[in-house]
Amino acid sequence: MRRHRTSRVLLSVLALVVSLVWAFPVYWMLNSAFLPNVVLQSTTPTFVPFGGSLRNFSAVVDDPAFLRALGVSLVVTLTTVVAAIVVAFFGALAISRFRFRGRSSFVLALLLIQMLPAEGLFIAQYKMMSSLGLLNHALGLAVLYTAAVVPFTIWMLRGFVAGVPAELEEAAMVDGLSRTQAFLRITFPLLAPGLVASGVYAFLQAWNEFTVALVVMTAEDSRTLPLWLRGFVQASATRETDWGQVMAASTLVAVPVIVFFLVVQGRMSSGLVGGAVKG
Amino acid sequence: MSSRSSRRLPYLLTLPTLVLLLAALGYPVAWQLVTSLRRYGLMQQFGAPAPWVGVDNYVALVTDPSLWTVVVRSVVFCVVTALVSVVVGGLIALLMDAVPRWARLVLQVCLLVAWAMPIVAAMTVWVWLVDWRRGVLNWLLVEVGVESAYGHNWLAQPTSFFVIASAIVVWMSVPFIALSVYAGLTQLSPDVLEAAQLDGAGWFRRLRHIVLPLVAPVISIVLLLQLIWDLRVFTQIKILQDAGSVASETDLLGTYVYRLGTGTGDFGTASAVSVLMLVLTIALSWYYVRSLMAQES
Amino acid sequence: MLRRLPLVALTGAALVLSACSGGTDAATPDPTDTAANADKTVTMWVAGGDTPDELRTYLTDTFKERTGATLAIEEQSWGDLIPKLTTALPDADNTPDVVEVGNTQSPTFTNVGAFMDLTDMYDELGGDKLLQSFVEAGSVDDTKYALPYYFGSRYMFVRKDLWKEAGVAEPTSLDEFNSAVATIAQDNPRDIKNFSGFFIGGQDWRNGISWIFANGGDLAKKENGQWVSTLADPSSVKGLEQLQKIYQDASQAPADAKDQSPWLYINDSDTITDDNGEAAGKTSLAAATIMAPGWAHWSIGELAEKDGEQVREWDDSTFGVFPLPGTDGNPAPVFAGGSNIAVSAQTKNPELAKELMRIIFSEEYQKMLGGAGLGPANSDYVSSLGDDEFAQALIDSASNSKLTPAAPGWAAVESALVLEEFFGKIRDAKDLTALAQEYDAKITPMLNAQ
Repeated sequence: MRRHRTSRVLLSVLALVVSLVWAFPVYWMLNSAFLPNVVLQSTTPTFVPFGGSLRNFSAVVDDPAFLRALGVSLVVTLTTVVAAIVVAFFGALAISRFRFRGRSSFVLALLLIQMLPAEGLFIAQYKMMSSLGLLNHALGLAVLYTAAVVPFTIWMLRGFVAGVPAELEEAAMVDGLSRTQAFLRITFPLLAPGLVASGVYAFLQAWNEFTVALVVMTAEDSRTLPLWLRGFVQASATRETDWGQVMAASTLVAVPVIVFFLVVQGRMSSGLVGGAVKG
Repeated sequence: MSSRSSRRLPYLLTLPTLVLLLAALGYPVAWQLVTSLRRYGLMQQFGAPAPWVGVDNYVALVTDPSLWTVVVRSVVFCVVTALVSVVVGGLIALLMDAVPRWARLVLQVCLLVAWAMPIVAAMTVWVWLVDWRRGVLNWLLVEVGVESAYGHNWLAQPTSFFVIASAIVVWMSVPFIALSVYAGLTQLSPDVLEAAQLDGAGWFRRLRHIVLPLVAPVISIVLLLQLIWDLRVFTQIKILQDAGSVASETDLLGTYVYRLGTGTGDFGTASAVSVLMLVLTIALSWYYVRSLMAQES
Repeated sequence: MLRRLPLVALTGAALVLSACSGGTDAATPDPTDTAANADKTVTMWVAGGDTPDELRTYLTDTFKERTGATLAIEEQSWGDLIPKLTTALPDADNTPDVVEVGNTQSPTFTNVGAFMDLTDMYDELGGDKLLQSFVEAGSVDDTKYALPYYFGSRYMFVRKDLWKEAGVAEPTSLDEFNSAVATIAQDNPRDIKNFSGFFIGGQDWRNGISWIFANGGDLAKKENGQWVSTLADPSSVKGLEQLQKIYQDASQAPADAKDQSPWLYINDSDTITDDNGEAAGKTSLAAATIMAPGWAHWSIGELAEKDGEQVREWDDSTFGVFPLPGTDGNPAPVFAGGSNIAVSAQTKNPELAKELMRIIFSEEYQKMLGGAGLGPANSDYVSSLGDDEFAQALIDSASNSKLTPAAPGWAAVESALVLEEFFGKIRDAKDLTALAQEYDAKITPMLNAQ
């Protein structure tokens, strides 16, 4: 018993060490966000931002481009999340509840699509969006993003759908509920963790993506946050990048994701590729 | 509910996915295939006719030894990084399972926060941490007495460049893996484990004979995804290359395609490399894909 | 998949249509007819934040006043400029009308017909008064496509105090410079670890080529209509040998360092104070000399508090500047940084775009560039840079500045980082000529590829 307790303490210490390794770069971003640029260039690292200020943050927030990009990013990301969940849910329902001709080709296609290398596609993507008149259009970008995340989200969701026994629904229908009612009252709540997990995945991808956005969002006022952040890093050929401000900007970009994560955290970890477990 | 409509239902349900994928990827992918068979450079991008060259682009590529160097390098990098990520992620998941609630919460929050960090920011910070002159890594090494670390440039040598790159990719991938595997572990029935423990099975035996087989499906899908993602790794390598190193000695497939396409404007060859990359990914993961498909039917 | 293919035809048709409407329009619209232009918008892409806000406001206001049309200035980041220009310039519906492009990036686009021919307005915009090395980079044979926007050539920034402590005087020739920096490195007056007399990164070819240029060498030349890399020419090799000695004796920079933020090494960054608040002397200073574009002086100086923020303040007693001396008493030819500006060949508003060019090359705007510390394109207005030491060093070094070859494949050489690789190998090369020949063989085919 005693040995058991010591090993638990040791394991907890190990967990803290691991936590530290993963949190350190994040801490470093935060730390640097409070420090002036000249301090960041010093050869001796400054571990705690004593004497730091919120100056970097206020400089970033005062930039009207930040709020504009935040707006664009929110529209694109939320559209992607909702669209991905709806489309993926239908897809997951099809492959987990039905056996039909072409089913395995569909599943195979979902896997293979994730293997497409994206670096060579940008000219074609630009041409397509331009001829459809969707350049600089938040919805156009959201369509591209949704297509990029749907194969994986279907994969995530199918296990959850399969995990809800069809008999439950049927029983409810025998009790006089319509198919839709039975679905909404019985199946849907059981799927919630899976939907949350896929939503998080879609959110993260859409929020942080920048290669596709770079190509199809050319106008200054239709930029997403990662593009704005990148512009911030490479602001000028003639003046030095203000790294303190870059880190403050990065922090502000990361905050909505972290808040979103923490809100759905409990549900998510149980939902994360739960699909694969049951699949 | 007639039987005919229920036969049509699955097709209706897959329709949104198919339409979406076709709309978003159909044209670009077709363009890439077509372009890989043409001479297509900047001239063509600016309106000159693009002549068909058949498989010339492919022939030029596969007879160029530099491509094979990049392929081998990419495959090694991808396999090593994916395996390390999955092993580390799996161990962290076991750790999460074993520690008290508060420690698990701290660990989960730290992993989530790391996962949420924008990639531009994460890379900037990592480049700072390994900087030869003002990096925390060298500072720390000197503090603990490794004087030769002073001013050591980690990115200059390809070997240490890839160690750093691999470490960064592992750092970025582990949160997803650890949380997924942990989710798998929570689905295990505690009764089975307890019974095994009472039977006197040691930790390692329980892990090997009970835990591993049960979380194997999670691990295999996560490993497959890591292999796919790590073979395509681009942003991390590009940013590290910009910070230092000799580009031609540190190129992986992603940066190689990018350099051919955007850099030299040779979109025909770049498209051919992309197609080859797709074939390579499929070949590399074929075993997995087949076993996954076998479970399907 | 096939369903999407007609898009290609569509875009193609749009290109043809707009080409016709641009070419056959008999009655050229008057760019100064303010009423007719009221609902038109001209888009200008500037690269990075280098064009200051006041200059942008001036351009939009003056353009509105002059033409009645709206000028939308959009900033594109430097790192993404090439892919963005590659996709947007051929797209008649979405092309920016006027674009800024890095001077050495110009040949990539001029050689494929991305820009409108500006030869007929060349004289009107300044003609021979425009910075010729930039004009050349933006021309194909005698046709002018891209014109200089601003320049900043490279010169030396030194720690006067360290030079003095090492007992070395300001050099008047390249040889003197080469030996001076080696002496300072050996003398290391303050016993600083890893100290460089002259900090020049191993892969920093943009500064390193000055030694090739100064000895009469060049990167490439055009022979019988074909570009040939000339790194192994005897005069180039002579320059490379001098550079090798600098790498070996004077510089402690890593072999893979590029030309980013070299000022870090001559600034005193942090002073560690002991218990009595006395400086214990540990600073991050690591070099006595660096070479950088003129605008680097905004980042060099003593730490100072300004409006509660820590900034760099130039101090004449510690820091100094001079152009790299050449072999003949004149400043050495150095690489000039800066931008060109061009009109998209697909623009739907060619007359308005040309009007914008007239505003950019007007005396008033050129002087505003100079006032902002950017070297103006027109040599008549360089005095607007002021008469301080920076302006002097900038004008002196620019007097003899050079650019990379105007070969169609130059951008490919740059983006493949071949020169970075070559320069990174110079320090440890046993046989420089062989190394140079090896890279000539790599570069020559790239130069002529389109």
